[in-house]
Amino acid sequence: MRPRRIASVFLAVATVIGLAACGGGGGGGAEGTTTSGGSGKTLSASDAQNAKGNITWCIGKDTTGAFSQMVKLYNQQSSDSQAKLIELPTSADQQRTQQVQRLRAKSPECDVLGIDTIWTAEYASQGWIYDVSDVINSRKSDFIASTVDSAKYNGKYWAVPFNTNAGFLYYRTDEVQSKPTTWQQVYNQAKSDHIVYQGARYEGLTVDFLELLYSAGGKVLSDDGKTVEIDSPEAQDVLTFMANGVKDGAAPRSVLTYMEQESKDAWFNGKAAYLRNWPYVYAEAKTSPIKGKWAITTLPKWEGASASGVIGGYNLAISAYSKHPEAALSFVDFVTQPKQQVTMATKTSLPPVLTQTYDNAAVKKALPFAPQLRAAVQQAKPRPISPVYPLISEAIYKNVYSALQGNTSPDSALKKAKSQIESALKTF
Amino acid sequence: VATVDATVSRPRRRRSGLSERRLAALMISPSLLVILLVAAYPIGYAIWLSLNEYSVRVPGLSRFAGLKNYREALTSSEFWSAVKTTFLFTGISVSLELVIGLAMALAMHEAFKGRAILRTVVLVPWAILTVVTAMTWRSIFSPDLGFANTVLRTLHLPGAHVVWLGESPYALGVMIFADVWKTAPFMALLLLAGLQVIPEDVYDAAKVDGATAWQRFWHVTLPLLRPAILVALIFRTLDALRVFDLAFVLTQGANGTETLSLYAQQVLTDNRIVGLGSALSVLTFGIVMIVSFAYIYFVGGNIRTLAEDT
Repeated sequence: MRPRRIASVFLAVATVIGLAACGGGGGGGAEGTTTSGGSGKTLSASDAQNAKGNITWCIGKDTTGAFSQMVKLYNQQSSDSQAKLIELPTSADQQRTQQVQRLRAKSPECDVLGIDTIWTAEYASQGWIYDVSDVINSRKSDFIASTVDSAKYNGKYWAVPFNTNAGFLYYRTDEVQSKPTTWQQVYNQAKSDHIVYQGARYEGLTVDFLELLYSAGGKVLSDDGKTVEIDSPEAQDVLTFMANGVKDGAAPRSVLTYMEQESKDAWFNGKAAYLRNWPYVYAEAKTSPIKGKWAITTLPKWEGASASGVIGGYNLAISAYSKHPEAALSFVDFVTQPKQQVTMATKTSLPPVLTQTYDNAAVKKALPFAPQLRAAVQQAKPRPISPVYPLISEAIYKNVYSALQGNTSPDSALKKAKSQIESALKTF
Repeated sequence: VATVDATVSRPRRRRSGLSERRLAALMISPSLLVILLVAAYPIGYAIWLSLNEYSVRVPGLSRFAGLKNYREALTSSEFWSAVKTTFLFTGISVSLELVIGLAMALAMHEAFKGRAILRTVVLVPWAILTVVTAMTWRSIFSPDLGFANTVLRTLHLPGAHVVWLGESPYALGVMIFADVWKTAPFMALLLLAGLQVIPEDVYDAAKVDGATAWQRFWHVTLPLLRPAILVALIFRTLDALRVFDLAFVLTQGANGTETLSLYAQQVLTDNRIVGLGSALSVLTFGIVMIVSFAYIYFVGGNIRTLAEDT
């Protein structure tokens, strides 16, 4: 008797649980009736005038205190709306996870979201953020063009640029005679003096590869985003160039394990004459073992083509679930004004998004390489803008990695990347 | 006693309408319910997710996919290479941990001065978070400035120029090494507990019979330690099959270190392919379940016989 009774209790409970599980899933299915992408919600520039209500800004960790200072200044000048800062983790992946959890639950907790440029397409296509095209168009000329491009998806703007980023070439002045002007020059000299970059199998490798690909005039996707062009002759040249770099020792094999940190340490310790890295290295290099023996320059040209780069940074988007979108917009507008951009640039050393901020005396003092910084941002281009960007990037870095290791020929690595990106574009 | 008791109190029980058994079932049902909510509901939900497809481009769009996600997972070469990596990692690391853990347990079991200190020191690696362990080993095995290569170079040993985490067999080797370093103490702790319940007189009897130290270990210690060994093996195997953090920190899955959990996480979290990612998680769960049932089937029976024998 006893086992059977316990079993029946168990069964009854299990049935309840089973029903609950189906209920949850069924809810998901019912939402499937919405078929168009995007939230369908828009904000226009004038909406910022009706700012009322309190809002919350969810962005990565405020390591320098610049973000909380901005919040304080906003609260001082506004009486109808008060802002609050929620600091997300330092790692970009963790920030995305935190935001996505709230957005999936339609939580109104975060009104203003600090989003990495590569999340724009995902958030926009999921209908999580407001279309702010009108806001951008009303002051487009203030921004560096490439930063605005990084907030664009499906012909509309989904976020306001907040800070930006671009790669640089650092080099040792005691080993390199003159400022390098082409990648070919760099790699040629690197055969004896070495270059280090981010060659581990992760997002950083996608960026480093795309910088060279964009310079050579290559693309990942066609302009309409429908055709995959990653097996172009330009891409073949670039990947062969990079693979040869590892083969002939211009880039030591150790780059295959390097992320930002390790490549920087190797350069600081004299293991290489050249380093490709982000602007943050500038401040650290001033007190490093090689202080006084290095210089910074924008990424060089590809021989016979142009100089380019890949744009990074954070844009500010407004959550579709915000209870006070107008107040959120007025906050976004406030922190992207010249005065706040100066605060951000001088405090965080993050490159500002407004063209004129780079001419400000305080900014020039905090970032002595401001002119190069602006040039680097201006020549940079966004990574492929697609809701399946993570899959595209994975296809790029896994196959590029395999070619750098010498396990696959550049040609077949790119063919494989192409077919993987093609199936990624067909994802449901 | 129970019968007498039951006859005496029967009238009163009838009135209340609850038998002892029913009352017991009723009383454990809240905790049963909590267990089901905490364990069964997420598992059931993951299975449900794995039977559907969720659009990455259209908000809220989903469709029932049946077993399509499983078909996709089981026909992908990435899945099978992850299975291979996971089992290779588990097999090698758990075997090494057993041997080393046993040696450590035997050493700690001996009575000598400073035994308490040794026991504490040995447990330090196990007390450190795996992510921290992984970061440490990552920097130790970093190619140019890492501790490992510097030592090899100074001692003029081979391998000073190997990029440990950037080459195929070595990366998994480092991962196994880090795991053994961290969890051998845990194995030792479990085995030490087993050693302590073996009665001293068994050894005295063996000594009287003229058994050598080796014979005592082989014919007395090992057979009596078997239940503890088996429990330790189950714990470690199931843990090792789900390994994620080591691979994630050391190599991000490059160079033959992509384990099942890491692969499932990449598909589910990074790439947001919810259906396929859930199918991969369910498959991982299934594999772990099969292995644990296999252990209970072959080994669990063994524990019972051993317990009956003694």
